[in-house]
Amino acid sequence: MMPAFGIDKPYPGPFIEREDLLVVLRQRTPEQMAAFYEARGFPGAAIERIKASCFVTVHMENRGHDVIWLDTALWTFTSKGKPLERFDRSYWDSQWDSIKLRQASRSTFGWTQLPALRDLQPDEPVGGNLVFPGNTERFDMTLNLPTGADRQGKPITLEFRDVECLQEVEAE
Amino acid sequence: MTARFVSSCAGLLLLCLAVQLPAGELPAGVMPVAGIEAPPLQLDNLDGVAYDLADSGGHWRFVHFWASWCGPCRREMPSIQKMLPLIEGTDIEVVLVNTAETEDEVFTFLGIVAPDLVPLLDTDGLVTQAWQPRGLPSTYLVDPGGRIRYQVLGGREWEKPAYVEFLRGLAR
Repeated sequence: MMPAFGIDKPYPGPFIEREDLLVVLRQRTPEQMAAFYEARGFPGAAIERIKASCFVTVHMENRGHDVIWLDTALWTFTSKGKPLERFDRSYWDSQWDSIKLRQASRSTFGWTQLPALRDLQPDEPVGGNLVFPGNTERFDMTLNLPTGADRQGKPITLEFRDVECLQEVEAE
Repeated sequence: MTARFVSSCAGLLLLCLAVQLPAGELPAGVMPVAGIEAPPLQLDNLDGVAYDLADSGGHWRFVHFWASWCGPCRREMPSIQKMLPLIEGTDIEVVLVNTAETEDEVFTFLGIVAPDLVPLLDTDGLVTQAWQPRGLPSTYLVDPGGRIRYQVLGGREWEKPAYVEFLRGLAR
């Protein structure tokens, strides 16, 4: 099999690696995320909203021979046993509408988000951000992943515990 | 040779994969598509020259969407540059579409990694959105009649023999 360009080892954060699937999480500080978007011309009003959020970048690679479904509606996020709020695309659309964010920035932001639904084909990578409120405490993620082109294959369940929203370390 | 047939169709997600083409003979990540008419692609390139995909028929087009902030895109672009001399003599046209970046960002990036490439600028990202790529980078192979015949998943090492032979085979 020809290699695809993917994420490099060693993985930059918590990961689950199986024969048929790799999932890597990368936690970034609000300042790191703000710097990324600021460098791409996002205005201050957008940067404020980004800084007030918690970004977790997800990288997935289907290394098996069957379709694996990324369907974030089937994923659960809990903190201290309670469901966690997540800022999805509709949330960001309303935020961007309220500040009249230019279309190019909306497009860039959209491409950096994890797709909500994807039939991940064999040898296909996917990546993007999940976004939560900035004051989110450590949380657990359960990824329920149907398999098979018709979603009728044996489902995969993966769990990440104690995922952290990174905060910038104050300089002394 | 055993042909493996792809029968997945996920509505608009995957542009409905074809059921007749032997996916097993294709390089990794190259997925056959059921001959869907290519969406409009009318943009100016980095030099300000207008381009319209509809006016460039009669040969295969390698239509590639990318952005400089995208890690897999950055890793893949030099590979596309290396591929160019290897497909010389075919009439495959390489059409690069930058998604929602400024001229300065594009010029700065390509000037270093792939100075021979002159991309089209989708400055607001709406043309890219109309093509519904599964992510960035994303490549489509459009036949001489203007129909998408293959979609390529993620970044690939285009200068590798499997991909070069595949592309040269298209143009025969």
